[in-house]
Amino acid sequence: MNERLLLGRSIDTGSWVHKLDPRSKITGMLLYVAIILLSTSWMAMGLLAVFSLLVMATTRIPLKYFIKAAKPLRYLMLFIFIVQALSVKSGDVLWSLGSFSLYEGGLRLGAFSVIRMLFLLTFTALLTFTTTPGKLNQGLEGVLAPFKKLGLSPDRITLMISIALRFIPTILDEAQIILKAQASRGADLKELPLKEKARMLVSLLVPVIASAFRRAQDLVYSMEARGFRMDAPRSRYHRLRWGAADTLFVAMFIALGIAVALL
Amino acid sequence: MNQANIETKSGTEPAVIVLEGVSFGYDPEHPILHDINVSIPQGQWLSIVGPNGCGKSTLVKLLNALLPKSAGLISVCGHTLQEETIQSIRQCIGMVFQNPDNQFIGQTVEEDILFGLEGLCLPYEEMKERLDYYTGKLGIDHLLSKHPGELSGGQKQRVAIASILAMKPGIVIFDEASSMLDEGSRDELMGILRDMQAEGSYTILLITHDADEILASDRVLALHGGSIAADVSPAELFRDAELLERCHLREPYTWRLARELQSRGITVDVPASEKELIDTLWPYNYSK
Repeated sequence: MNERLLLGRSIDTGSWVHKLDPRSKITGMLLYVAIILLSTSWMAMGLLAVFSLLVMATTRIPLKYFIKAAKPLRYLMLFIFIVQALSVKSGDVLWSLGSFSLYEGGLRLGAFSVIRMLFLLTFTALLTFTTTPGKLNQGLEGVLAPFKKLGLSPDRITLMISIALRFIPTILDEAQIILKAQASRGADLKELPLKEKARMLVSLLVPVIASAFRRAQDLVYSMEARGFRMDAPRSRYHRLRWGAADTLFVAMFIALGIAVALL
Repeated sequence: MNQANIETKSGTEPAVIVLEGVSFGYDPEHPILHDINVSIPQGQWLSIVGPNGCGKSTLVKLLNALLPKSAGLISVCGHTLQEETIQSIRQCIGMVFQNPDNQFIGQTVEEDILFGLEGLCLPYEEMKERLDYYTGKLGIDHLLSKHPGELSGGQKQRVAIASILAMKPGIVIFDEASSMLDEGSRDELMGILRDMQAEGSYTILLITHDADEILASDRVLALHGGSIAADVSPAELFRDAELLERCHLREPYTWRLARELQSRGITVDVPASEKELIDTLWPYNYSK
């Protein structure tokens, strides 16, 4: 299968995490993000690592999929590490060359930032790998439902996410076709110098965006022809059910938060 | 509203679609459609033909209120098209578009078929029954969990048709639905259309350039420059060389073959189908 199709795709292994109500997974995810941001010690990071690996293992999804999910951002992680390591000047000086010094505090904060990002990426992947996009949308609708009173429309938000996820692989495929068409006429992006590459990207973006608008128009016709109206009542084929396992799942994250706060 | 009765080969059927003096254009100086008058009876298979840009797609989109209001009267299933009746009309009409990729809303086949059903606020049991029936009928019941990217063009078009039929519309419009399909998938689509025609409960509007699809229909509406150039039977269309030329169409393969045989002194009538041609030629072969 096309690797790009992994974006927003679930991998069904039938594990207990797969069977959970998506609302509990989203709540757990939000708690997890808060815990990551509050963790400031190596002990806390270690505990988070053990917890994350245990949850990942119980999904029965091979670890390589989680690594794949984090891999595209490896250069960004490296960049963040270097910036943190060079800009933070606290703690002992570990190494210096002329006016330039590398501090223990900079290295620690750089490492923490990378680890936090890694946790975040792998755990986001866990959410999408164990939940079908449809259920994820339903879960998000459920979690956002209380905000209706503030004028927020969960239906609109989830519809936008759902359509974006649906069309990402299609638009990427189209970009590939345009790239190949340009390469066949002698404009191979791979062989061009950086400045030319940037210029070529504009000639790639214009047809891709124009095509995305055309697709959007067709999609609107298709939705309206099937009687779709924004914010109109809809019935649900798959109903969400909150069970004891969901409460336990959320409780695990609360316990993790307390443990991290105590460390 | 004007509920005309129209004589068809199966008797007198009430008109499910009536257009009276329909004109449409974004710029009044340059109308895309001009003074369209047509009545389509229940159960008829109508092919809409004409060169690119003659207003075929615009015409069917007007029926479903997918375009802004036009001049003239449009009536569908007894509802005169106006703001208050749009939803009722959209429940009567299902549309299958040209590019199956762009009409796939769900992330999976199941989600896509359920999209329309959930909008109808149907109870779970009813949705389940329709999902099972139409996916089985169109042979896509094994694809329910598949992502659109994993399907062939023909499979995607079958999903699009299933998601429309599951909403139980009386009228189904195919807007060049076969133009992006390979030969095998085209044959599949023709099979589905023939089944729908045999069932008798659907009024089919088919925008097409394909001679075989036109030949299989009951009636042809030829558009040219935004007006009706002809409202004829498929046989009448294919006998009119000038009309064929104006509509950028060719005769069906069987017709061309029959003419070629006639020019070589072999007596053979212009056949309605491939089977009819074979049946005519078979005894000829044995008499030699």
